[in-house]
Amino acid sequence: MIIFALRNFKVFIRDRLAIFFSLLSVIIIFALYTLFLNNAWSSALPDGVEGGQALMDGWLMAGILAVVSFTTTMGAYGTMVDDKAKKIYKDFSSSPLKRTSLVGGYIISSYIIGVIMSIISLVFLYIYMMIRDGYFLGWLETLQVFGLILLVTLANSAMVFFITIFIKSNTAFGTVSTVVGTLMGFLAGIYMPIGNFPKFVQGVIKVFPVSHAASLFRRVIMGDLVNKVFLGAPDIYREDFLNIMGVDFAFGDFLILPWMQIVYLIATTLVFYGLSLLIVSLKKQS
Amino acid sequence: MDKILEVEHLKKYYGQIKAVDDISFYVERGKLFAFLGPNGAGKSTTIDIICTFLKPDSGSVSIDGHVLGKDDDAIRSSIGVVFQDGFLDDLLTVEENIKYRGSFYGLKGKELQDAFDRVVEATGVKDFLKRQYKKLSGGQRRRSDIARSLIHTPKILFLDEPTTGLDPQTRKKVWETIVKMQRDLGMTVFLTTHYMEEATEADYVIIIDNGKIAARGTPYDLRKNYANDSLRIEYRDLPTIETILKTNGIDCRIHNGEAIIPLKKTLDALQILDLCKGEIKSFEVLSGTLNDAFINITGKEIRE
Repeated sequence: MIIFALRNFKVFIRDRLAIFFSLLSVIIIFALYTLFLNNAWSSALPDGVEGGQALMDGWLMAGILAVVSFTTTMGAYGTMVDDKAKKIYKDFSSSPLKRTSLVGGYIISSYIIGVIMSIISLVFLYIYMMIRDGYFLGWLETLQVFGLILLVTLANSAMVFFITIFIKSNTAFGTVSTVVGTLMGFLAGIYMPIGNFPKFVQGVIKVFPVSHAASLFRRVIMGDLVNKVFLGAPDIYREDFLNIMGVDFAFGDFLILPWMQIVYLIATTLVFYGLSLLIVSLKKQS
Repeated sequence: MDKILEVEHLKKYYGQIKAVDDISFYVERGKLFAFLGPNGAGKSTTIDIICTFLKPDSGSVSIDGHVLGKDDDAIRSSIGVVFQDGFLDDLLTVEENIKYRGSFYGLKGKELQDAFDRVVEATGVKDFLKRQYKKLSGGQRRRSDIARSLIHTPKILFLDEPTTGLDPQTRKKVWETIVKMQRDLGMTVFLTTHYMEEATEADYVIIIDNGKIAARGTPYDLRKNYANDSLRIEYRDLPTIETILKTNGIDCRIHNGEAIIPLKKTLDALQILDLCKGEIKSFEVLSGTLNDAFINITGKEIRE
């Protein structure tokens, strides 16, 4: 299983184009933000607020970390689709390699690729914030972010796996990943803060697991910055800001706590991997 | 007799189409065995069933004592398969490809390295081990495919149209690799082909058509039983020779200044030559080919 995962890993990293496309939606988010959105959102903050820029950059960083493992695990599962499309799996099934090792190998390699790409993005954004805002994430926060990467990649890769097991051709895969990559930025409230959407869309965003991943990242990364920016301001402003930006989520008066979001992500992982494995094993018997 | 592969009453229908229709045969250990047939005759379906990819509707298959459907993993460990199109990874080098696939059979460390060195030697892929698979020529790819299929020293090697799509020179080289390897390693080779030259070199040939076995035997037997020798006479004067042959009730075909006469027995030629003695510029007796046999058996040309 490990060696098969290694093979998948190598096949993916040799494919420069696949890596680029798996990062494309993240690159677009970053470019859109630095070129246009940044001004739009930070102008919404009261003038002369200290640390507003860093706060927005932190918001961007959290959003990117929430989706990057989604799009890159998707790219990694592309190897699985490719093996199906080119019938390479026929060669695998001519060997005594167990089917569980095969499926396990795809999952492991995609997970590792998702984590590695998240860490690369983290380092890049870390340097970006350092240069632009002179802001450093504390050790404790960095450690928390790292933990979140491990968890979020797991949940994201589960959802992606569920999607990819239904895809049989490379063209279909290309289309699906483009659509998903584009939607992702909206569905997780990353292109635009959740507060800018109509109520109905807000509901959809609040159900989508990636939004909760983004929220968790935001809590950790923006925590200190929010305190700094809203120092001395009335609580209501601060609460409004946290709700509009999708740092805190609430259903009516019920405020969602971080542990609930963690549980939600774990449940997402279990449900999607569970369903996928069930479907895969049913397919085998037919 | 030592049978490494035994197939009995194998059937696989797709709706109305009888892809494999009650086929029984066996393969002797250490022999080169050819499955000959036109496209869509059921060759690939039969191979797919034997190699555990497809479930048969009925019938039994046993490979080296392992029963299909019961000991599939044991079967997979004892077979090597070379597919019509190669299934190695384009972006990995030949060495990486062979070693990764080798590890699927539980090979590792020194064991894997030894097996690797052995197949590299047997298939002559040494010169392009470090090249990516996608950058290889057709013949190099094919030899890499064969190297991969040998990594776990299978007891029987299946090759599904191993030389199709290669240019004649490369085809010859790849074929030589297969024959040499079969002799050197004493391995049983089971191949499907639609090239007569290749089938002619096999120890045993089965001709399959419309999912059924149409004929079987050594290439010599098939030729003897299904192909006629023919006598070619270069004549001096066409009307004269035609009259002679016609009055004696002998069929002939005129082609490029030659009269071509099919023979029931080779010795019949003597009598005909005697009759036409004065009209002959030159003559030759051609023995029937496997190709003739094939056409007589299936009623069609092989390369459709």
